[in-house]
Amino acid sequence: MTIGRYVILSAALAGMLFPFVWMLRVSLMPTGSIASESLISAAFTLSNFFDLFTQTNMGVYLFNSLATGIIVTIGNILFCFTVAYTLARYRTLTNRLLFVSVIVILMIPAHIIIIPLYLLCVKGGMYDNYWALILPWLVNPIGIFLVKQYIETIPQSMEEAARIDGAGELTILFRVMMPMCKPALAVLAIQVFFTHWNSFLFPYILTQSESVRTLPVGLAMFQGHQAIDWQHLMAGSTVAVLPVLILFVILQRRIVSGITAGAIKQ
Amino acid sequence: MRSRRLTPFLCGLPWLLTFVVFWAFPLLYSFVIGFTDYRLLQRGYEWVGWGNYAALFNDPDFLSALKNTFIFVVGTIPATTIISLALALMVNRQFRGRGLFRAGFFVPSITSMVVVGLVFTHLYSRGGYVAMLAAMVGFTPPVNGFLYESGTALAAIMAMDVWMAVGYYMLIFLAGLKSIPEELYEAAEINGASPLRQFFSITLPLLRPVTLFIVVINSIKSFQVFTEIFVMTRGKFDTSSAVYFVYEKGLTTSYDFGYASAAAYLLFVIIGLLSLAQFGLFKQRKELSW
Repeated sequence: MTIGRYVILSAALAGMLFPFVWMLRVSLMPTGSIASESLISAAFTLSNFFDLFTQTNMGVYLFNSLATGIIVTIGNILFCFTVAYTLARYRTLTNRLLFVSVIVILMIPAHIIIIPLYLLCVKGGMYDNYWALILPWLVNPIGIFLVKQYIETIPQSMEEAARIDGAGELTILFRVMMPMCKPALAVLAIQVFFTHWNSFLFPYILTQSESVRTLPVGLAMFQGHQAIDWQHLMAGSTVAVLPVLILFVILQRRIVSGITAGAIKQ
Repeated sequence: MRSRRLTPFLCGLPWLLTFVVFWAFPLLYSFVIGFTDYRLLQRGYEWVGWGNYAALFNDPDFLSALKNTFIFVVGTIPATTIISLALALMVNRQFRGRGLFRAGFFVPSITSMVVVGLVFTHLYSRGGYVAMLAAMVGFTPPVNGFLYESGTALAAIMAMDVWMAVGYYMLIFLAGLKSIPEELYEAAEINGASPLRQFFSITLPLLRPVTLFIVVINSIKSFQVFTEIFVMTRGKFDTSSAVYFVYEKGLTTSYDFGYASAAAYLLFVIIGLLSLAQFGLFKQRKELSW
């Protein structure tokens, strides 16, 4: 490890983290100028956060992001697992076709369906309510693929033994297989929650009312308001980033292994 | 015994429903309305055949959005790939503080694009930190900030995207590096190959599958660039992208569903062809099968 390498890496790290430091610092500044010299000398205050939760709908956005995020994550754990299980263990013709559909959708860029999905939600009564934030996202092809790969590494004799012992299908599914898939499901849960938490385009086009806006959408809408200043905008941004950052620090190893599992599948 | 036959079907049902309702139907539906003049507040619609597609190729807004998307993809992908590989090579060896660097580089890629867009809107503004940095290296920053000038706005957004993505791809490269057998390097060492030679003869060829994976998923993602443009410029100053065009035509002011759907399909075809081409390109040399 040469000193040169440390210098390059440290410079890169500083560049990577500076925008976050700036965000956090500005969020703690009292109203007024945020010129560069005040970055160090300005006072510290929590009032921006206080204002956000008392004078704007920040609390609503936070609740919406959390609530729909948790529901979608649970849905994906459950459904990606059951779908992956049947695809991995029952090689029927219909399941083969179903797997083809998973692979095809896996490769299709989601953003091209914004118009028809919008129309579908409007006509199906899902527009501008929680359904639009939940229903289309309860199971996803990448998750199915990931869990299916994992189930295929578990020997089939596990289920056969349980079956001989007289276990029913439900017991085998949820008492035998699901606990064994825990590592894959944990990775899946993290990925789904992060994606949902950060997602902007779909929540934005499928909602309109303040009461169903999620955090990223609410933040992006703040920006258009003349009344909001950078201090409050950055306080809102901090609220949106902090949970993810904390989860990342706690779950770092799982997150990294999840990314690797997706990449090195061959 | 009935449950044994029902289980495989019931287990697959959630995906079957999601696939039919939220994927297959919208895809078919938008394909059909792409051939009509369907829009909001209009009773019924007329069949226009290939009219929308023909109009798109004569629409300067669409062509410029398409051009910007290509610039975005062609500009960011090589930069992201090379920088993330360089970072991966630097943190691959065991050393003090390695975990900190790895985690720190990765943080931007788990952050909300809206937040990143907002922060960089300020950093890129007049008198912002990027302008200060530019002035320090002898470059005159644009008078109104980087995002308010056609020549620099798109480039500024691209640079931000590279900043955001490198940590993620670095992790994938790291996994790829780990899968290269150590003996290869030992053998090369014994035969007197220089580190540079080892890199070009062992590391790079053996990383081809991972590189292919990275380039393909990154280009599929980059072709869909939207949120950063929405947050930072609203498509102004020559930054509109293909997806932004679809959004603007289909879901604002005129709600031109038919026209926007045709544009979305065109984008879909382009992305499909490009990923196929990329697969072909990388497969030509057969040292390693994907």
